[in-house]
Amino acid sequence: MTELTLQALWSGVLLGSSYALIALGLAVVFGTMHVINLAHGELVVLAAYVAYTCESQLGLNPLLAIPAAVIVVCAAAALTYLCVDRIAKDRELNSLLLTYGIAVMLTNGVLMLFKADIRSTKSTWLTDAVVMGPLFSMRSEIVFFIVALALMALLWWWLTRTWSGRALRAVASNRDAARLMGIEPRRIELASFVVAGLLAAFAGVAIYSFGVVSPSLGTTLTVKAFVITVLAGMGSIPGVLVGALLLGIVETMTTTFGSSALQELAGMVLFLVVLFVMPNGLFGRART
Amino acid sequence: MRPDRRLVVAATCVALYVAVPVLCASNLYLMSMIVAALTIGGIALAWALLGNLGGLVSFGHAAFFGVGSYASALLVMKAGWPIAAALPAAGMVAVLSAVLVLPALRLRGAYFALAVLAYAHIFRIVTTEWTSLTNGAKGLSNIPRFPLIAGFDFASKTGAYLIVLTLVLAFALIYARIRSSHYGLALRAMHESEAATRAVGVNSTLLKAMMLFVSAFMTGVMGAFNAHYINFLEPDYAFSGLWTMLPIVAAIFGGYRTITGPIVGAVVVYLADQLVFKEVMPVGHQIILGALLGLMILRAPDGLLPLLTFRRRTGTILRHA
Repeated sequence: MTELTLQALWSGVLLGSSYALIALGLAVVFGTMHVINLAHGELVVLAAYVAYTCESQLGLNPLLAIPAAVIVVCAAAALTYLCVDRIAKDRELNSLLLTYGIAVMLTNGVLMLFKADIRSTKSTWLTDAVVMGPLFSMRSEIVFFIVALALMALLWWWLTRTWSGRALRAVASNRDAARLMGIEPRRIELASFVVAGLLAAFAGVAIYSFGVVSPSLGTTLTVKAFVITVLAGMGSIPGVLVGALLLGIVETMTTTFGSSALQELAGMVLFLVVLFVMPNGLFGRART
Repeated sequence: MRPDRRLVVAATCVALYVAVPVLCASNLYLMSMIVAALTIGGIALAWALLGNLGGLVSFGHAAFFGVGSYASALLVMKAGWPIAAALPAAGMVAVLSAVLVLPALRLRGAYFALAVLAYAHIFRIVTTEWTSLTNGAKGLSNIPRFPLIAGFDFASKTGAYLIVLTLVLAFALIYARIRSSHYGLALRAMHESEAATRAVGVNSTLLKAMMLFVSAFMTGVMGAFNAHYINFLEPDYAFSGLWTMLPIVAAIFGGYRTITGPIVGAVVVYLADQLVFKEVMPVGHQIILGALLGLMILRAPDGLLPLLTFRRRTGTILRHA
């Protein structure tokens, strides 16, 4: 029993690290622009399919497909920004509808190119078991856990130690004041979308390497990322990490001790509980 | 209502109730397309009501649609209710499910929209897992059809058309009544400034909740209608994201601040999608609808219908609005 619990915790942490990458992208864009990118989950799926294409057509290990995925997804994210930027009025709600339209386009584009079949990696190097004491995992899970940690450290370093990262936080806290300090908000907003795309690209290849993907996965991922940001409380980046790990652990615990069919429901119940009991999230400040 | 406008409404009703069935009844495929388009139109109207009057954008109307369809099917099949009683009851069950959504009203605009999407996921999973009641992923088949009344078969395509048309027109009437009532006035004031409206003693959360209930009721009834029309339900169909996506595209295309816009938009968008786009590209044809939604938001967020009528009447005023 203890071993099973430990195993579920470990798998949950590994899964949660990828969720964190997805949710961080959503949170960064929301922080700078107050725009929820409903196509964010689809960007992740797009990266997964770039990895699939590289593997099935060129015989590349999905890890080697990461540069291609980053280029494609960052370009898609930048295009999304250019569209969102052109919204004339009521940006908060219209951007939802616009990115929803982009999500529909991406889902159907992937469906057109790759059919509705589910795909997963054929690389045995990635799916081999890694045993650490009593804990089992796939090699890909370990690899992407380390990658996720590195990316989060990089993101933290960027946000706190570089001029552009600080500018992003300045725009997030007060756009007009940031502008008076000589920051061009639109460049920063574009940067936030590209960073979100970068994180989504890694997350997409990760999900392809240890799970299965299908064109319709995007909505589920967007909802999960959203649930994590609600768990975290709006605008809390450390909260996103905790929320992502929490969601990952709740999901693997449900699979281990309940049924895999209930896995998705568990995350949703967690979401409802937080919504009812702590509408500001675990780490959120009270809203005005 | 001005007399000439009354004439137009009367003529349109006659055309819809008499001319369309007479002209199209022989083409069963076209008739089934029109019925489906009006079903989408009903949801689009309910979605637009919530958006226009309540100021809330929802990405989860499939939740209310699915709940309504299962409620009606189960009431008729397991409890032996007549279909005529099950339809409004299904709407009320959808309202009950909307009560569960109320805590999401605490979330502001964008977050509410996504919370409802999460609810749609929850309802679909619960329906799939609650096998004893819903027969799970296997679905419900042989859901009773609409009955034969006075020699007229309401289970036929034409019968279904008359039912769905009546439902949609009734919803449009309810919408118009709400909009012109003092609730509508308060809601419009809320749209200008929620704080100011609250200050003069309007309970804005209650008003929003009421709009959510009305919208859920309408969507639930459309779901119930569809269940008895299609005679088959499974969770992935009843809670399909299409029941959210198509109404949104339709309402935005037609103009979600008008009453006729969502209905006309649904007919145009759905028929174009099924009869044209699907012929050209059988897989992934909805990519065009996604592009259409994006373009509409960028170019004409108020929809095509207002654009066509306003430009003629008011010239340049719209540009400064």
